[in-house]
This record gives sequence, structure tokens and C-alpha cells, in this order.
Amino acid sequence: MDTLYSEKNRVLRRSVRSFCEREIMPIAKDIDQEARFPWEVVEKMGKLGYFGIQVPKKLSGAGMDSVNYTIVIEEISRVCAGLGLCVTVHNSMAIYPIMGFGTGEQKQKWVPSLARGEKIGAFCLTEPNAGSDATAIEATAIRNGDHYVVNANKVFVTNGGVADICIIFVRTDPDAGRKGTSVIVAERGTPGFVVGDIEDLSGMRSNPVSSIRLYDCKVPVENLLGREGSGLKIGLQALDVGRIGIGAQAVGIAQAALEEAVKYANQRRQFGVPIAKHQAIQMMIADMATQVDSARLMVTRAAYLKDHGKPFTKATAMAKLHAGEVSSQVADMAVQIHGGYGYSKSYPVERYYRDARVTRIYEGTAEIHRMVIAREVLNEYK
Amino acid sequence: MSFHIVVCIKSVITEAPDKRVIRTPEKCGMNPFDRPALETALGIKEKTGGTVTALSMGPAVAASALYEAMSMGIDRGVLLSDPCFAGSDTLATSNVLVAAIKKLAPCDLILFGTRTSDSDTGQVGPQTSVQLGLPLVTCAHSIEYTDSGLLVERRADDFLEKFQVSLPAVLTIHPSSVQPRDASLSGIETAFEKKEFETWDMAALDLSSDQVGDPGSPTKVLSMKRVKRDRKCEFVDGSAGEQVDALVNRLLEAGLIG
Ligand SMILES: Cc1cc2nc3c(=O)[nH]c(=O)nc-3n(C[C@H](O)[C@H](O)[C@H](O)COP(=O)(O)OP(=O)(O)OC[C@H]3O[C@@H](n4cnc5c(N)ncnc54)[C@H](O)[C@@H]3O)c2cc1C
Repeated sequence: MDTLYSEKNRVLRRSVRSFCEREIMPIAKDIDQEARFPWEVVEKMGKLGYFGIQVPKKLSGAGMDSVNYTIVIEEISRVCAGLGLCVTVHNSMAIYPIMGFGTGEQKQKWVPSLARGEKIGAFCLTEPNAGSDATAIEATAIRNGDHYVVNANKVFVTNGGVADICIIFVRTDPDAGRKGTSVIVAERGTPGFVVGDIEDLSGMRSNPVSSIRLYDCKVPVENLLGREGSGLKIGLQALDVGRIGIGAQAVGIAQAALEEAVKYANQRRQFGVPIAKHQAIQMMIADMATQVDSARLMVTRAAYLKDHGKPFTKATAMAKLHAGEVSSQVADMAVQIHGGYGYSKSYPVERYYRDARVTRIYEGTAEIHRMVIAREVLNEYK
Repeated sequence: MSFHIVVCIKSVITEAPDKRVIRTPEKCGMNPFDRPALETALGIKEKTGGTVTALSMGPAVAASALYEAMSMGIDRGVLLSDPCFAGSDTLATSNVLVAAIKKLAPCDLILFGTRTSDSDTGQVGPQTSVQLGLPLVTCAHSIEYTDSGLLVERRADDFLEKFQVSLPAVLTIHPSSVQPRDASLSGIETAFEKKEFETWDMAALDLSSDQVGDPGSPTKVLSMKRVKRDRKCEFVDGSAGEQVDALVNRLLEAGLIG
């Protein structure tokens, strides 16, 4: 796998890994247990460009491509998946829609501070009655002169507790069905903008996932992204891109689980030998390594297609689906190899096991991904 | 004052195989002990202005160390690479570096790491300074500027020695003297956009073939094998008091305390 990467990819991975192992690894367990968002490292990550990975340099970003993006997300997630989530949602789900659909003025207004990590972004689509079915959203934005009056109840907002700039999916024309969906950008601090309680999650606990509610919140019309009615298009495109990041995140978790499992299997002795000498353990290790490689290859391919301007929806859906399932399976095997200790918080595999699970749920469940892939494949061979 | 600082960096092998050393791009990276030297150079540049040049001798794969240095913010990178350089020991390496530093003149300060993570001799910095006829302070821990040069604190064992050094000078930088900066993502992007390091071969340097590679190396590595360290665990019996006495005696006998 390594030989497929360029010198630049390798220098980047080494550099991000060294930062993450020095700055994040030592606190990863605590921020998970305390469900704490580590501002002190987030600030450092911002200075190094982690919050504007693909943003052009003239807008204060690093100007990197998608393959390099997956390397950064994988490496952060290898030590702390909750921060990997923060960075990928910020980059792909908050910045990308503004870069892809915003006007020059809108980009100038929001992107540089997001790219420098001075402001944190969030993506607010899910509602209590609209999860997999994004067309069912009930939030409204009714135009009144130079502003919209927005009412929304958004749940499961990644970065919700710390976000300054939120991409909000609303209905601008409640009678127009799915065609009436639009995207507006709402800033924290606007009267009527309320951050709800932080979710007490099973994994990803360093990320302040929360609800965000807007009560008769006045948002200037300049904050509309794209045109009225283009909301679903923006959402689907952002998710296409975002899923590359979630795939990379899942690979990072799986990689960490594999490394821990190998380390433990070499140390732990039972029946007079390190358990790594037992064939049953070796079979698991072989499967884990193969799975991690296959997932990384698929994620890299999806990113490569995007970088080369090729269609990437199917490749991305496959990569995200596969990487999510791989991370769950590999984390599960890592727990198994640790025996009882794997079920205890003394070892990090227990955290990987909790973190891995959600990569099959968010940014489209595994079932929805299978629907997307099936649709593409059925069309392809018709 | 505006310095020209030269930092010598090595691309080391990050994974040690058995018996044979094979350099592949995946298994090479900048010697971690060179990072503090680079950081020191970049720190001085930020304070006083000037330029930082990084020199690295090695095969083409050694370029990765130069790219890392460029990502951190050096101004110029030079790869010293020629098939004739293969097999150079520390002396032959210094010969090549000396020739390159002379070509880069004028230089005010030449920095090295204290040692390398893959061969650990610590000889290249001192040998280079001797050949250049320049003052040398090893294990430099802090540097101050004075009108007549530098005040350098050297950390060795449990002592801090202070030296007054005139410029130009050679320093090897103590690994714990500074926290090396991380390359920013845009630094990495820029380093690879520019791709602007030079490569100098034998012909570009004032060197004769008996100064480099095997002919220029008085030491030869005859073989290499992994050292296995045996550990054994012993239990000390008796009451707590007896155990303590027995343990103290064992440590005394082994010469570990006393
Ligand atoms: C930690 C975390 C962070 C999140 N971050 C964000 C965020 O930043 N922004 C955001 O907008 N959302 C976010 N979400 C929400 C997430 O995207 C949704 O949970 C997800 O889309 C699924 O929606 P749901 O939970 O309502 O499940 P449902 O849609 O109710 O699904 C329940 C089950 O039914 C299945 N199902 C549903 N429809 C079908 C169908 N047509 N065919 C077959 N099976 C079906 C699903 O696959 C699933 O198994 C986050 C969630 C979590 C847990």
C-alpha cells in the first residue's frame, strides 16, 4: 500500500502522525471519558492548517487534494476518532458547501476564519422526524423582506456545542415538497439560535454532538447558499464528499485497533507462548490486516477519482460502506484478542470498539449506502 | 545582523531490518536528532533575519528529509548525491559536507544534530568543524548573541558549560534544547509545489575520488546483526525485611548501587 503513495503523501503522514502522537494520543482516553472538547489541541491544529485542508491558500487554507485529505483524517482518527469527526465534518460538511455553492462574498466572509480554525463549522440536516429520509425535514425559513425567519429543531449536530457557523437545511417553500428545500448559513449568537444539551454518546465522546434550535431566528437573505430550492442538491453533494472523510476516519480507527491487537498478541502469554503463536489469533490478525488494507485502498480510490474530476459517487459510497463495516469488525476482533482486558477501559480497544460503531450510521446508514450502490450498479449493467 | 545558517540533516532508516540495510522511500525519514538543529536555525532566522540552507548527503531517497525541512520553512535545500558517495563512513561524509559548505560560503553558523538514530556515532559534526578549522561546541543547549559572536551553553552530563564562540562556528544541538516545530499543511503543500532543491554530485564539488565512498572511508562495516537482550526475572524470598536486604545485596554485587 505504502508504495502507492507519493513522497508528499508520506511526508504528510509522518508529519501529522508525529503531531497526533505527541499532542492528542496522551489525552485521547481522558477526553473520551470526560466527554471534553480539547480546545488546547484544537487551537494548535488550526495553526497547522487542519481546519482548512482543501481550502485554497488565498482563503487561508492549505490547498491540499482529497488523497492528502484522507491521510490527515485517517491519522487524526487513529489516535482520536472524535477529533477526526470534528475535522472531517468541519472541512467537508461545513466548508465544502460554502466553497462549492457560495458566492465570492460568502466565501470571503466565512471561509478564512473557518480554514484557520478560529471558527468551527457544523452541518445541520437531521431532525427528530428526518434521519435517513432527508426530504422529510420540517425546519422552515420564511422570507420577510431582507431576512428569513427561521424555525428549526436540528439534532445530532456534530461539533454542535462549539460551532460558530452552521449549514442549516430548511424549507423555504413549505408547499413545494422536496423542491422547497434550501440551505442557509446561521451564525451562533444570532438571537433565537440555541444550542441544546450535548448528547451522552457511546463513542466519539470528545465531540460535542448536540441539538441546535432556531426560534424565530432572523437570518439575512445574503446567508442563503445557492438558490432557493437547491438544498437537496447541496446536501447530497456535500455528503458525497463527506463520506470520503468518514471512510478515512473508519480506516484510522481500524488501523489503531490492528496495531493494538498485534502489540497485545505479542505480549500476552497463555499456554506457555505469546498468544500471537496460536493459529486462531494469527487468522484474526491476517483478516484484520487484509480488511484495513482493502478499506484504505477503496477510500484512496474514491479520493483519487474526486481529485481527477471523475464521477465518484459509487466509489465513495462503496468505500464508506466497506470502511465502516471493516472498522466495526476489526475493532471487534481487537477486543476478542485482548480477551477480558479488551472489555475494560484499561486498554484503548474498548474505545475503538465504541467509536467504530457509528461509522455505519452517520452520513448515511449502511442500508442507505447499499441502496445508493445498488441503484448505480443496476443502472450500470442494465 | 543577518546570518547564513547551514544545517546538515540526514535521512535515516526508520525501520531496521536484519543483516542488510535497504533504503526504500517508505522506510526513510529525517533523523529525529536533526530536528532541534533545524528548529534552532529557523528560530534564529525568525529573530535576526537571514537564510537557512539545509544540506543532506545521501541517495535520491534522502530527498524526503529535505522535503520535510522545506515544509518546516528553510530557504534552500541541497542534496549531495553521487553513486561514488555510497559506503561513506563518517569521515568520508564529513569530506563531502566540507566541500559543500565551502561552496556555500560565506556561512556564519553550521548546525548539526548531536547524533543519528540509525548509526549513532556523533562524529560527523566534530569532524566537519575540524576540517573547516572552525570552533565547535557540541550539545549546545542555549545560544545568545554578543558583539563578538555567540555565548553558547553546552549541556553535558549534569553540567552546563558556557562558551564564548566567534563566528563562523559549528554547533551540534542538544536534542532537548528546543521543541521542533511541526510542518504546517500549507508548508508541506508549498515544499512540494516548489520542488526546488538542488542536487550536487561529485563533479559539482571540489573532491577527489579517494576522499569519498569506500576509498575515503577508514572504517568498514563488516557485518551487522541484531542484539538480543536476555532478561530474566528472579524472585526474592523471605520476610519483607529479608527481601529488602537480599535485594540491596544483589544490587551492590551487580555494581548498580553503592
Ligand atoms: C455521532 C453522530 C453524529 C452525527 N452528526 C450529524 C451531523 O453533523 N449532521 C446531521 O445532519 N446529522 C448527523 N447525525 C445524524 C445521522 O446522520 C443520522 O443518525 C443518520 O442519517 C440516520 O438517521 P436516523 O438516526 O434518524 O435513523 P433512521 O433513518 O430512523 O434509520 C433507522 C434504521 O432504519 C433504516 N432505514 C431507514 N430508511 C430505510 C430505507 N428506506 N430502507 C432500508 N432501511 C432504512 C436505517 O438504515 C436504520 O437502520 C449524526 C449522528 C450521530 C450518531
